[in-house]
Amino acid sequence: MVSKLFCRTLVALLLAAVAGKGAAAKPTMESVGSGLVCQCGCNGIVSQPCQHYECAYHAEMRAMIQKEIAEGKDEAAIRQDFILRYGVQVLAVPPAKGFNLTVWILPGVGLLAGLALVLVIVRRWRRAPASVTAPSARPVDPKALAAVEEEIKSMGLGIRD
Amino acid sequence: MNQVGSVGLIAALAFAGYAVIAGVAGGKLRSLRVVKSAERAVLAFFVMITMAVAALETLLLTDNFHIAYVAEHSNRDLPTYYKVAALWAGQEGSLLFWTWLLAIYSALAVLLNRKKNRQLMPYVVAVLMATGTFFTTLVFFVANPFHELALVTASGSQAFAPPDGNGLNPLLQYHSMVIHPPMLYLGYVGMVVPFAFAMAALLTRQLGDNWIRTTRRWTMVPWMLLGLGILLGGNWAYVVLGWGGYWGWDPVENASLLPWLSGTAFLHSVMIQEKRGMLKVWNVVLVITTFFLSIFGTFLTRSGIVSSVHAFAQSNIGPFFAVFLSLILFFSVTLLFLRLDHLKSENKLDSLVSRESGFLFNNWILLALVFAVLWGTLFPVISKAVEGVTVTVGAPFFNKTAIPMGLLLLFLTGAGPLLAWRKTSFQSLKRNFTVPLVLAAVSGIALFVAGVRHLYAWMTLFLSVFVAVCVLGEFWKGARTRMRTAGENFAQAVYNLTMRNTRRYGGYIVHLGMVLLFIGFAGLAFRTDVKGLVGEGDLLRVKNYLLHCDGLVNGENANYEFTRALLTVTKDGRAFGTLHPEKRFYKASQQPTSYVAIHPTLSEDLYVVLAGLDQDTGKGIVEVFVNPLVMWVWIGGVVVFLGTLLALVPSRVEREMAEIRASQEVAVQTENGF
Repeated sequence: MVSKLFCRTLVALLLAAVAGKGAAAKPTMESVGSGLVCQCGCNGIVSQPCQHYECAYHAEMRAMIQKEIAEGKDEAAIRQDFILRYGVQVLAVPPAKGFNLTVWILPGVGLLAGLALVLVIVRRWRRAPASVTAPSARPVDPKALAAVEEEIKSMGLGIRD
Repeated sequence: MNQVGSVGLIAALAFAGYAVIAGVAGGKLRSLRVVKSAERAVLAFFVMITMAVAALETLLLTDNFHIAYVAEHSNRDLPTYYKVAALWAGQEGSLLFWTWLLAIYSALAVLLNRKKNRQLMPYVVAVLMATGTFFTTLVFFVANPFHELALVTASGSQAFAPPDGNGLNPLLQYHSMVIHPPMLYLGYVGMVVPFAFAMAALLTRQLGDNWIRTTRRWTMVPWMLLGLGILLGGNWAYVVLGWGGYWGWDPVENASLLPWLSGTAFLHSVMIQEKRGMLKVWNVVLVITTFFLSIFGTFLTRSGIVSSVHAFAQSNIGPFFAVFLSLILFFSVTLLFLRLDHLKSENKLDSLVSRESGFLFNNWILLALVFAVLWGTLFPVISKAVEGVTVTVGAPFFNKTAIPMGLLLLFLTGAGPLLAWRKTSFQSLKRNFTVPLVLAAVSGIALFVAGVRHLYAWMTLFLSVFVAVCVLGEFWKGARTRMRTAGENFAQAVYNLTMRNTRRYGGYIVHLGMVLLFIGFAGLAFRTDVKGLVGEGDLLRVKNYLLHCDGLVNGENANYEFTRALLTVTKDGRAFGTLHPEKRFYKASQQPTSYVAIHPTLSEDLYVVLAGLDQDTGKGIVEVFVNPLVMWVWIGGVVVFLGTLLALVPSRVEREMAEIRASQEVAVQTENGF
C-alpha cells in the first residue's frame, strides 16, 4: 500500500517536472547570460559581472540580451544571434554535437574507467597472496615495539576492530 | 647592479650543471667526497640565485628604470611593499622568483638530509638541480630580468632610462597579492622535492618505507602552501576583481587546483603503503603526476596557450616548457616501468569494506576530478587543433562535472576515517555510522522545511553535517576514553589525544576545514545581486538591506585618483554600517580599477562595487551583492591550514620511531661505507 502510494507520488512528481520543462519559460538575463561567455578573455559568464574593469564587451552583450528579450525572442534564437555575431566560442559550453560531444563524454568515461580500474585492483588484491615478505615478518626492533606498546597502554586505546 | 644579477645567474647555472653531474657520478661511484661536493654546489646555487634576486630587488627599490623589467613593472610613487612584490609581477621576475624558491627548497633538502637518506641524496640532488638548470637557463637566456633599455639611433644604440616606470598592474596592488603568488609558487615548486626523492628511490632501487616516509612530509608542506595560495588567490579575485565571486574556473585557477588534487590523492594513498605495503606503483605515479601538473600549471600560466584573466605574463617560453614536460614524462615513466618488479604489493586486500578501499575510492574520485578539470581546461586548445574551431569551456561545464564528484569526496571525507584497516565488521559500521546518519537526516529534513530547495546546496549541507558529526565523534570517542582511563578533563583529554597522534587528529581537523569550505561553497546557490545608479540622497534596496548614498567624493594620492561612494547601510531598519566602494585611476599605468567595499558577517557578505559613473546623470553605477556564507570559505581554508600544520608536528611516538630509524640508518651507512 505504502509502496503503491510512493510510486504514484513519484510518477506525479515526474510528470509535473516534465510538464514544467515543456512549457517554454520566458528568457531572462540569468537564463540566457549564464550560457554565454564575455568576449574580453575573462572567461566569465555574461549573467555575472565581468572581471575586467569597465569591460566594453560585457556591457554590449548584456544590452543585446535585454534588447532581444524585449523583442520577444526565445533563448535558442537569442543564442543563435550571439553565435552569428561572435562565433561559437561565445557559448559557455560548446554545442553537444560532433567532436564537441567528447567534452561531456570523456569525463564520464574517465570516471567509469577509473572505477573499473579500482575494481580490477581490488579483485587482484583479494585474489593474489602477498608476493613479497610482509612487513610484519621483518625483525622488529624491541625498543620500537616497547615504545608502541607503552603508547597504546598510556592512551588506554586498543586498535579499532 | 644588473651585472651582479647576471653574474649570479651564470654562476648559478654552472653550479646547477655541476651538481647534476657530480650527483649522478657520486651516486654511481659511491664516492662520499663527490656527493658532498654536489651538495655544496646546491648551496652555492642557492647563494648565487639569492644574489640575483637581491640585485633585482635593489634595482626595483632604487627605481633603476634603465632596466626594462623595472620600467615595466614599477614606478617612483609605488609603495615600497609593492616594489618588493614587483619581483613576481612579470614573466622574467617571476621566473627568477620560481628559481629562487627552488634553490631554497633544494638547499633545505640538502641541509635536512645531511645524516638521513644518504643513498638517495646523490640522485635527489641531481633531479633538483636538473630542474634548477632548466629554470636558470630560461631566466638567463630567454626571460632575463636584467636587460637594459636602449635607444637605437642611426649612430648605434645607447642606454636609455625613462623618467618614471609604467607602474605595477593595478589589479596586483592589493595586500593579498603580495603574499598570494609566493604561496602558490611555494606550492608548485615544493612538489619538485617529492619527485626528486621518488626518482632517487627508483634509480637506487631503495623502494622501501624510507622514501615514502620522507616524501610524505615534503609533500604536505607544498600541498598546504599551494592550498593557501589558491585560497589567497580566491580572496584576491573576490576583493579586487569586483565580480562578486572567488572562483571562476579560469584556466589558470584550474592549473593551480590540479596538482593540489593529485597531491591530496597522494597524501591519502601514501598511508596505505605505510600501513599495508600496498599501492606502491600508484604512489610513484601520483608523485610524478603532481610534479608534472605543477610544471604544467606554470607552463599554462605563462605560455599563452589558453586565454585567462590571470595569464599576465605571456611570452615565447612555451616550447621550452613543452620540451621540459616531455623529458619529465619520458624519464619518470621509463624509470617506473624499469622498476615495476621492485614495487610489488606486500599484502592483499582483506575486505571491500575497509580503510584501504575507502582510500582507493577517494583516489578514484580525486583523479577523475583531475582528469575532468584538465580535459575541460585543455578542450578549447584540442578543439582548435582537431576541428580548427575555437570553443569555450566555461563554468557551467566545470560545475556540472566537478560538483557531483566533490560531493562524493565530501561523503568519503567523513566515511573513510570510520572504516577500520583490513576489515570493517557490520557491527562496527552500525556503531560508527548510525549517529552521523541520523543527525544528518534530521538536519536534511530541517533544511528542506526551512526552504533549502537547491539540490546541490541541500546535499552539501546534509553531507557537511554527516562529515562534521563523523569527525567530531572521533574526537569525542578518543577523549572519552582518556577521561575514563587517565582521569583527565575533556579539554586536557582532547589536547593530549591530539598531541599524541598529531597526524591523525591534524588530518581530522583538515577534514573539518573541508566541511567549512563546502558550507561556504553551498552559499553560492543563494547569491543575490542588484545594480543601480546612486547620487546624494538616493536609496538602493537589496533583500533586507537599504543603502543610502551620502554622496560621491573625489580625491587623489601620489599613486592614484579616486571617486568614492559614501553609503550608509541599514538592515531591517537598524543601523548596519558604512561602506565606501571606490573607482580608482592609477596614474603611472593609466589604468582604472575598482576597490570593492565588503561588510562580511558569518551568515553573509554585503558586497558593493562602484562600477563607474553614469555619463548622463553623473551618478555612481553601483552593483550590490548579498553573498551568503562566504566567510566560511576563508575560515575553512584557515582550518585546513592549521590542521595541516598540526599534522606536520611530529607526535611523541613519531619522534621516538624517527630516532630509532636514524640510529639504524647510521649503522647501515657505516656498514656500506657511504
